[in-house]
Amino acid sequence: MMFAPLLEILEDAFWSGLTALGFALAFNVPRRALLACALVGAIGHAARTLLMAASTGIVLATLIGSVIISLLGRALGRFHHVPPPVITVAALIPMVPGTFAYRTMLGAVQLVSAPPELRAPLLDATLINGLTTILVTLALAFGSVVATLLPRARRS
Amino acid sequence: MVIGLGCDAVDTFISANAIIVTTTSGGEFRTKSRRILEGPVNMDIVARLSRLSHQVVRDDLNSEQVRAALTRIASSPPLYNRWLIVVMIGLACAALSRLFGGDWVVFGITWLSAGVAAFVRQELVRRHVHTLLMVSTTAFVAGLLASSAVWLQLSSQPEIALAASVLLLVPGVPLINMVLDFANKYTVVGLARGVTSALVALSIAVGLLIAMTIAGVEQL
Repeated sequence: MMFAPLLEILEDAFWSGLTALGFALAFNVPRRALLACALVGAIGHAARTLLMAASTGIVLATLIGSVIISLLGRALGRFHHVPPPVITVAALIPMVPGTFAYRTMLGAVQLVSAPPELRAPLLDATLINGLTTILVTLALAFGSVVATLLPRARRS
Repeated sequence: MVIGLGCDAVDTFISANAIIVTTTSGGEFRTKSRRILEGPVNMDIVARLSRLSHQVVRDDLNSEQVRAALTRIASSPPLYNRWLIVVMIGLACAALSRLFGGDWVVFGITWLSAGVAAFVRQELVRRHVHTLLMVSTTAFVAGLLASSAVWLQLSSQPEIALAASVLLLVPGVPLINMVLDFANKYTVVGLARGVTSALVALSIAVGLLIAMTIAGVEQL
């Protein structure tokens, strides 16, 4: 009974890890930290998916996912001798509300020329897309710096 | 780092497109203002600057050594081959299409169209095309290629290919930095990043909308 969801979560982790890896290459992340980007991105996004499957809202789930990324990024950053953002920024990318962001803009452009009877549903969708973009981005950013607020251990 | 080089204090003023640094040493001031050049995210430079700043304190480097190290960092070539990035960015967007619930046909089409889009972006950036025009053009190319799924009726969910193939353009890093700037009271810098990000998102939408109109796709 637990088998199918587990497989789905692993699949989610695999694809989000691949996304983080692709963007890590584009961000010129040093070779020694590439796998850490993929791993941390995979765990963070899979955690969010798991929480959302357990009917947590996308904003809270993103906050928890990015806190996990922040903590793992700090630990692995120390291990690989890179500042944590080198790992966490690429790892956060799979959770960025990209489709929500441009769907908001698309909705705004389409609203102007929409026939009156379609306006209400389009306005509703655009408003939700816009608010989701803003709140998920806030959760992502604040979650991603949680580790820096913790007391610093001995510096290497 | 500056204190490590023998200054008493340092003040920085950061705006969206310039930075001003004043160093104080024995009652003497030195101020420099510099433009901030737009460029891609480069984590290798971040990592090497961080290492250098530790070295300054630990190994007691002098200003000549630091200057040489900075020049070396600034002139370092990108770590990865541009074709590798094209393939991997395409794959990254294709992976996102799987996360959106797309089938394997959508995966293939997204890989191709996002990869071509990554190549188009590289070319336009190299030719110094204005950022927003570059984003619209790239989104248009990606959208047109992705909508081949609609024409060829290859998949029951062609709209996922359209939605995923433009994701390489989303300004994820400026959006996150915007919030961090707000939190650290760099409100004006944060606003500048936010407005730029919104314009980029609008440019994606415009490019995509033109492609959708040509392809006859009504909704995403």
